[in-house]
Order: sequence, then C-alpha cells, then structure tokens
Amino acid sequence: MIRNLNIFLIFTSVLMLSGVYALKFSIENTAGERTALIAEIDSQEGQLSLLKADEAVLNQPGHIEPIVRRHELALAIAPVKQEQFGAFADLPMRPAKPNTSAMDSLFESLEAGIDPIDAILELEGIE
Amino acid sequence: MAVTAEDFGPTISLDGARKQRGNLTQARIRWMVLALVLGFGLVGGRLVQLGMVVPDSTIEGQARDVITATRPPILDRNGLEMAVDIRVPSLFAEPRRIIDVEEAVRKLRTVLPDLDETWLRNRLTGDKGFVWVQRELSPAIQEKVMRLGIPGIDFITESKRFYPGMTEASHILGSTNIDNQGIAGIERHMDGEDVALLQELGLARGNALAPVELSVDMRVQHVMHEQLVDAMTRYKAIAAAGVMMDIHTGEIIALASVPDFDPNDPASALVKDSFNRVTAGIFEPGSIFKTVTMAGALDSGAVSITDQFDARFGIRFGRFTIDDFHGKHRILSLPEVYKYSSNIGTIRVMQAMGKDAYRAFLSTMGFDARVPFELPEMRLPTVPKEFSEVGAATASFGHGLSVSPLHMVAAYAAFVNGGNYIAPTLYRRDVAEAEALYRRVLQPSTSEAIRYLMRLNALEGSGSQMNKEALGYRVGGKTGTAEKVVEGRYSSSKVTNFFGSAFPLDNPRYAMVIMVDEPKAENPQSGTTAGWNAGAVTGRIVQRVAPMLGIAPDFSEVLDQNLVPPQLR
Repeated sequence: MIRNLNIFLIFTSVLMLSGVYALKFSIENTAGERTALIAEIDSQEGQLSLLKADEAVLNQPGHIEPIVRRHELALAIAPVKQEQFGAFADLPMRPAKPNTSAMDSLFESLEAGIDPIDAILELEGIE
Repeated sequence: MAVTAEDFGPTISLDGARKQRGNLTQARIRWMVLALVLGFGLVGGRLVQLGMVVPDSTIEGQARDVITATRPPILDRNGLEMAVDIRVPSLFAEPRRIIDVEEAVRKLRTVLPDLDETWLRNRLTGDKGFVWVQRELSPAIQEKVMRLGIPGIDFITESKRFYPGMTEASHILGSTNIDNQGIAGIERHMDGEDVALLQELGLARGNALAPVELSVDMRVQHVMHEQLVDAMTRYKAIAAAGVMMDIHTGEIIALASVPDFDPNDPASALVKDSFNRVTAGIFEPGSIFKTVTMAGALDSGAVSITDQFDARFGIRFGRFTIDDFHGKHRILSLPEVYKYSSNIGTIRVMQAMGKDAYRAFLSTMGFDARVPFELPEMRLPTVPKEFSEVGAATASFGHGLSVSPLHMVAAYAAFVNGGNYIAPTLYRRDVAEAEALYRRVLQPSTSEAIRYLMRLNALEGSGSQMNKEALGYRVGGKTGTAEKVVEGRYSSSKVTNFFGSAFPLDNPRYAMVIMVDEPKAENPQSGTTAGWNAGAVTGRIVQRVAPMLGIAPDFSEVLDQNLVPPQLR
C-alpha cells in the first residue's frame, strides 16, 4: 500500500518537476519577448515624438507664411483686403416677379413656327 | 513484584542494536536540524541584508526619474502645439568598465570633435560608475557612436523640450533647462503649479500628461511677432512689444516682445535687451495715459462729455510751464482735448476731478501693484504714493510714473468692456468664469464715452494713420509719445511710442497695446510720433488678424454714429 503510494508520488514529482522546468523556460522566453517589445515601443515612441515635433513645426503659421510668400505670384494669392468681404445684405434683391409676359410671347411665337433666333442668325449671315 | 537494585547489585547494561541505531538517528536528526536552521538562517539573513540595500538610482546626484520625466505638451487655443517633448539620446560612460581610455578618447573625438581632449580624458579615467559625456544628441550621432563599439559607453533616452514655433512665442513659453525644469515664462509657472510635484513622485515618467491649453492664438501671435520685427527694421527702433487681450475673459491672445530669444537655445535668453518688455519692462506711458485720466474724471462725475476746457495758455507751476505739443491754444471741448491730445486740457480735466481722487482712481485701476498674471518676469510699477500739484499734473498725461504695457492693456480692456477690471491670464477662461472675477471700476456709461473718444481719435485725431490700414474694422485708440530721460532731461529725439487700442468698437472684443522704442522716421515725409509707427503697426496687425478672429469689416457710417453719446448728437 505504502509502496504504491510512494511510486505514485515519485511519478508525480517527476512530472511536476518537468512541468516546472518547462514553465521556467517559457516564462524566461516571455520575459525576453516582453523586454524586446518594451524596447521597441520605447524606440517607436521616441520616433513618434520626433514625427509629432516635425508635424508641429510644419503646422506653425511662422513656417507656412514664407512658403505662401514664395508662391504668391505663381498662385496669384494675396492677403485678403477689407473690400473683398461680402455680406448677405450686399446681394441685390430678387426682382419682384419674373417677366411672364415676355416668356409667354416667346413660347407663342415658337408654337406658331417662328424661331426668333433664326431671324438673328439670318441677320448675322450665319446658316 | 518489586525489583530493587539491592537484589541485583550493579548491572552492566548493554544496549540492543535497535536502540543503538535509534540513538544514532536522533543525533543525525539533531545535526540535520541544526544544518537546516543554519542554512535557512543564512538565507534569511541574506534576504534581510538585500532588503536593507538602497539601490542607487541617481545619475550624478539626480534621480533618474527626473531626468527622463516628461512635461505636458503646451497647446495654443486652437490645439496647435507650442511646446512638445522629444526623446533624444544622451551619451554616458562607465569609467569603471572602460578598458583603454586613450582609445576611447580618440575614437569619441572623431564623432564629437567639439569635446575637449583633456576634459574627456579626465572624465573617463577613474572608478566612477556613471558620468555624462554629452547630453541631448541627435539620433544620427548616436548611430555613429554605436558603430565605434567602445566598451563602457552607452546611451540613455532623455526627454528634451522642443518649441516648434521657434522664437515666435518665446516670452510666453519661457524655457526649460537641460534637466527639464522650467526656468522662465509659463514653463516656470507650470512647475510652480504641479509638474514639479509629479516629477518628484516619479509619476510624470512615461505617462501621457494632459496637455496644457493656453489662451494664445498662434496665428495672431505670428502676425504680431512678424509686424513687431518689421517695425524694428522699418523704424530702426531698438525694441518693440505688443500684447492683445480678450476684453471679456482677460485671455491674452498674443504677447510678443522683440528682440527675443529662441527657447530651443536657452542660452540665447541671456542676451542683453531680450527681456519681456510687456511684463518686465516699465515705461512712462505718455499720452495713452490720458484715456485713464478721462475715464477717471468722467466716472467721478466731475466732468461731463459736453464740458469745455480752457487750453489757451500753458499752465504754470512755479518756474515750469506745461504747454501742448500741437497746441490749439483755444477753448477745447472734452472730445477735442482727447483728440488733439492736449496736455493743458487733460490737466484741467484732472484738476476738476481733484488730485487725491485721481490718485485713488489709479489704485482702483491697479496701477500701483503688479498685474496678477502667470509670467514670473515682472517688475513693479513706479507710481508716487501721493501726488503733488505738479506731480498730479504730469501724471494726468502719463509722465512721472512708470507702468508696464500689461497694466495699460488691462486698463484699456476695462475701459471698453463696460467698466469691469479683469486680470489677464495665459490659460483658457470662459466668460462665465471671468464674470465671477470681474471687479467694477467704471460705470457702463463712462465705458461708452471712452469708446466714443477712442473711435473719434481714430477717425479725426492721432489714430488716423492706424485707421487707414485697418479700415472697416472700427478700431479706436490713443497714441502716446513719451520722451525718454537722457542725462536727467527729457530728450525730444529719443522717445518711447505707444498705441493703446480696442476693436471692433461697436461691439468691442479685443484690446491691444503696441510699443515701439526709440523709432526713427520711416521716410522724410513721416514723423517719429506714435501715430507714424506704433499706430501704423496696430493698424497692420488688426488688418491681418481681424478676419482670423471672426470680425468682418463694415464700412457703414451708422456704426460710428451710434457710438456718439446722445448729448453730442
């Protein structure tokens, strides 16, 4: 009875031992991967910080203005003048009513077979 | 049955083999226990010893966390970065591990020729564990040094502050030293608030800090900086400065002072004359101070906008006579006193109010204390505690006292926003927050009168140069030409020129003060008074920035007519 138990215990111990051994190596492996990843993240964060700084420089009004000045002539652009601003109030009012009688007479003449454009073309000498 | 010793006599007892082995086992167990206790004791002792060791995490006396700690990015009001952290490699050496110092020195100097040979040799010799060789290098140099393959030389990544706007907002941002501590400007103020604490706790390391949003608009800041630099060359001035403020919230939209420095190169901040003239410079404000006198007198009720003042003759104080620069020498109405910038008229206005009431009003406007503001670069204004008769007279037109341009812009903001003093700030603040901080200094009716006077001066007075540039944006303002004291007397050739303004005056939103120091005439047809330089600069700035700030030009005259007080219509 006790002998069987001992055999069983020995086998379990060996099994556990190999398990722990394997676990140790896999953990070491994972830790190595983790370190490599941390290093990679760190270096990428560093690069990202440089890229962001680059972007910030490129977005500065002080960086953009000289470029605009350089291409002012080619692109025909200039700083906006006060007179260029418009307002809704400046738009002309719409005519009170469309000129319906003129339209009616045009359609009537077309229906009657007279094209007013023909007359103009003939006058200009174009067929 | 009792067996006694007497019956058997002394006996020889022989232990049995079993008992003998038992004794032996017991002894072995005791030894074993002792060995185990000793063994565990040893292990335990070592553990305690290891626990007592304080790991040396400092680098040349500084905590590693402080060196690699990050600072929060600084953004402008539209989210554009004004200051960011970049990661840069720093070169260090472990002299203990360097095998051949001579070789290391020779090889390092091929990549970093700026390093002094003897200095480097001394640095690398010895038994130290850590020494800096050069901090904050570029990745390209890191690559080259790595390729040299010197043992005992390595890199550590540090955070370095970078200012993408270069010189443009230098006086606002200030600068940081090599250990990432703020040494000037808003950087220093931030440290005083909480960043230093975070770094001490090591919390700032690697964590993304919430960005700090400033009230500055980089577009406006750029235009102001550019125009001030332009003014320096155009008028051959020794300095120029300007500040623009949102009159309702107190937010500083732009603040610049030239000559300035590059915060990416903190050593350039030490160059003479590159101090912040807006906060740390105090000047005699000259005639822009007349607006203060007018506001005080109108608000006290001692004068009204329809009053007339006798400006026919200069005012005598003992041996001195104070006269006008462009004297009309007639009786002037109050708007005319302002428009023609009459010293005589302004003294009469002040005298109607009384010199003690006038002095008290200066205190109300905060002219004798520092402006509550974030930037640490500050100088106290010099305003006499009490005025003599002649002192009050000269003070009424801005002489005999010195204040900073920041004082003036805060006062102008209060004059046009309905009479509420609001302390300027560089951080975001909305109207509701600002209203809680309002301190009433004028009645709204006085504010309306001042708006009218400022606009009138732009249309007909000394601000017309400015108005020509900024047509349609309803700008109003006051010029100030303060003669400098050279060898104890006022010099007419060396002047400090100011222009205090606000726009759009039909619904004011921004106040601005521009200063040009010792300008020369741009061409023979122009002059050296403020209208020609500080005024023109103001006009050009407004012309550029008003559309950015959402102010549309409007040429209708009714807007100006609406500003005229009912008594004068």
